[in-house]
Amino acid sequence: MINKNTAEAVLLSATSTGAEFAELFVESNVKNTIGVVNGKVERANSGIDCGCGIRIINKDKVIYVYTNKLDKDNLVKLAGEGAKVIKGKSNIKNIVFSDLDIYRLYVPEIMPESVNKRDIVSMMRLGSEAAYNYDKLITQTNLSYMDSTQNVIIANSEGLWAEDERVRTRIAVSAVASEGNEKQTGYFGPGALKGFEFYNTINIEDISREAARSAVTMLKADDCPSGKMPVIMDNGFGGVIFHEACGHGLEAAAISKSASVFTNKIGQKIASDKLTAIDDGTIAGSWGSINIDDEGIRGQKNILIKDGVLKNYMVDRHNGSLIGMEPTGSSRRESYRYVPVSRMTNTYIAAGKDKKEDIISSTEYGLYAKYMGGGSVNPASGDFNFAVSEAYIIRNGKICEPVRGATLIGKGSEVLLNIDMISDNLALAEGMCGASSGAVPVCVGQPMLRVQNITVGGRA
Amino acid sequence: MDINILRDTLFERAENKGFSACEIYYNENSAFKVSVYKGKIEKYQNSQSGGFCFRGIYKNKMGYYFSETIDDVDIDGVIENTIENAEILSGDDEEFIFEGSSEYARVNTFNDDIQKMSAEDKINAAVEMEKKAMEYDSRITVNSSVVVTGSNLVYISNNKGLNLSEKSNYIMAHIEVMASSGTETKEKGELWLGNNIEEFKPNEIAEKAAEKVIFALGGSSVESGKRNIIIKNEVFADILGCFISNFYAENVQKGFSLLKDKIGEKIADYKITVTDNPLLENGYITTAFDSEGVATYSKNVIEDGILKTYLYNLKSAYKDNVKSTGNGFKFGFKSAVSTSATNFYINKGSMSFEKLVEKMGEGIIITDVAGLHSGANAVSGDFSFAAEGFKAESGRITSPVNQITIAGNFYEILKNIDAVGSDLKFNSSAVGSPSLIIKNINVSGL
Repeated sequence: MINKNTAEAVLLSATSTGAEFAELFVESNVKNTIGVVNGKVERANSGIDCGCGIRIINKDKVIYVYTNKLDKDNLVKLAGEGAKVIKGKSNIKNIVFSDLDIYRLYVPEIMPESVNKRDIVSMMRLGSEAAYNYDKLITQTNLSYMDSTQNVIIANSEGLWAEDERVRTRIAVSAVASEGNEKQTGYFGPGALKGFEFYNTINIEDISREAARSAVTMLKADDCPSGKMPVIMDNGFGGVIFHEACGHGLEAAAISKSASVFTNKIGQKIASDKLTAIDDGTIAGSWGSINIDDEGIRGQKNILIKDGVLKNYMVDRHNGSLIGMEPTGSSRRESYRYVPVSRMTNTYIAAGKDKKEDIISSTEYGLYAKYMGGGSVNPASGDFNFAVSEAYIIRNGKICEPVRGATLIGKGSEVLLNIDMISDNLALAEGMCGASSGAVPVCVGQPMLRVQNITVGGRA
Repeated sequence: MDINILRDTLFERAENKGFSACEIYYNENSAFKVSVYKGKIEKYQNSQSGGFCFRGIYKNKMGYYFSETIDDVDIDGVIENTIENAEILSGDDEEFIFEGSSEYARVNTFNDDIQKMSAEDKINAAVEMEKKAMEYDSRITVNSSVVVTGSNLVYISNNKGLNLSEKSNYIMAHIEVMASSGTETKEKGELWLGNNIEEFKPNEIAEKAAEKVIFALGGSSVESGKRNIIIKNEVFADILGCFISNFYAENVQKGFSLLKDKIGEKIADYKITVTDNPLLENGYITTAFDSEGVATYSKNVIEDGILKTYLYNLKSAYKDNVKSTGNGFKFGFKSAVSTSATNFYINKGSMSFEKLVEKMGEGIIITDVAGLHSGANAVSGDFSFAAEGFKAESGRITSPVNQITIAGNFYEILKNIDAVGSDLKFNSSAVGSPSLIIKNINVSGL
């Protein structure tokens, strides 16, 4: 993509006016998508994204230029134009690169480009049929497949030279159940930082049937009630509550501008004693994992909250320097088009000691949220929201009738203190997280837990 | 590689390989962005990007392939990948590469004045915007003050004689402000987008954001129950945007839309007329042709409450035996052609916002919703959003409200619109609405 001579010339041009630091992020990303609607292959597209982002940092100033014209002259020129924003003299005469030794947590076995697309289509058709055959009420199915093979070079003015390959694949299944004027959708989207062998570890038919079951169940469900009540969130994608209510507020970009309710709270108790939360980029093959982050720092396992006490933020290089903290291998970006900032990887609430059965049986009245949809948060106020996609009423310690169409809202700082039971069945689930540096793959996760009191916004 | 040489080489190779028709869609854009923090440049960004998408009909199927670079293109690789993508398709639909419309409207999408702005002008505008917001109230801090300019070139050419290009540019300003009362922090933003430089007023953008955040302080929740509400213009525009795909014929045909078989039927209150106008002066998505090269035109999708038409591309129009409405768009140059609305809006009524509040009397004014991407079921129309706003009592705005949700069904509220305001406003996705009074909405709070 780019050689060391070119990289040195570009970085020298970028620092020619005295910048403290400059960095190149060069990327080539081969992408492939297939869409199967109602059993027919309706979409197939593939191609290549490629380009280079040049970041120049001087004190609190960040300059960023990017292009898909990767020839040396163009890159040197763009870097030089960017550097003009800084007025000073260069301190860097030459750059000697040393290669970063990358430990790959997981080595893909079957590269996506080697797979016959007809095999992918066969697998998707199996899923579509399984969903249709689940129930007569299933009237539409929509399966999307994607893979991407992203090769990056990260080089900086301190002599870092890091090369990494990230192979990811994901399949999303949605099944629509209809009756009269009613339509409900069930959805699952498993994925991994793996090659095509990932599909040997999941059963597409089971996943599709589960999406179908969820859609049919919700079709027959009544509207969810409104008001404040205890809510039990099941494991896996339930972890979106921590991601939204707290995770974003622990990113250094929000902390450095005091735009988070968790600013200056390290060492303080911010959550229930039972709660320990971790952001771990090092889980082998997991969708949200990284070998190195997008500044060339190795992925880490970072304990964010231990027994309710805030221990650490997720820190990128630039915001870390503004708040006097070391980077934590958390700097991510969707592509060369984005300035990297601190983001989450696989973020989860650690397993607790309560038993699932006890959580349910000790709840007199409340909501059991089996599956969650996405959500969002305003880190400054801590106001968060997320959607429940499959839920049930709990009455006298028993799971009763299904209900649909609820959003849960609250404030991150309050809800964390309000978690009173955490079970031992930790599971992770895949998602895409959108923020200032684009959409990045992440996992959320948690064991089943109970929030004593939270506002449920239903239609009934 | 020169784009014309690339086109000619690709077309020749494709024809030799058995493509019955082929097309290239080329895109080139550049953008400048400056972000100011505490009076100084915090982020300064310059970019040039683009690429091409090749597509062609091979054995009656439409194959696609894209690349972000037009340098060193592996021509055989492009053709092979396109064939591979075409060969796995199994849809029954007829595919089209379009020879062109007889006439195209003239639209004003490129303003030289924007190109003439210097980097200094833009930096100063961002500094000014930040300063103005800070001056509004001592409790305000500014998170980011951003000015962006960009220009975009689209070129479509095919071997059936179509050759179209269009240049557009824009200026965008965005400010995010925080206000702290000691016990509570709120954050609000304001965004402006356009290509008429005379309407670009950084001071006003700053004041709007500052006013929003100060007025939001000190809010409290309300008792859960059914209420009459006013949904502010830009908020309803966002909600309308969540359900816009139900108006696309391709979704209707595949069974994903509840608007199936509803043409000619009343689906909204008679006060509601919804227009898709790609030729709107200073619209955010104003264009003379869609991504298939079909000439665009303005049409009412809902007229006095009656559903008049779906939005069509060539493929879905052929299926319903009608003409394309010129809504065959791509989402970015790389993607396949699907359907998209352009400047899509509820036509304004006659009542000012103040008159709406007076008319409602008691209720809640919704000025903000969150969770749009997760809280809406685009297929069923059900939604539940986190919301904020104000109480209205005796026809006047009183105290701020927060930590509530509003929940309902899109199709039901279309029929329950009690009054339509005169304050039509577009969101940044080119969806527009005036403020609306909606009766009997489920509000959840305490």
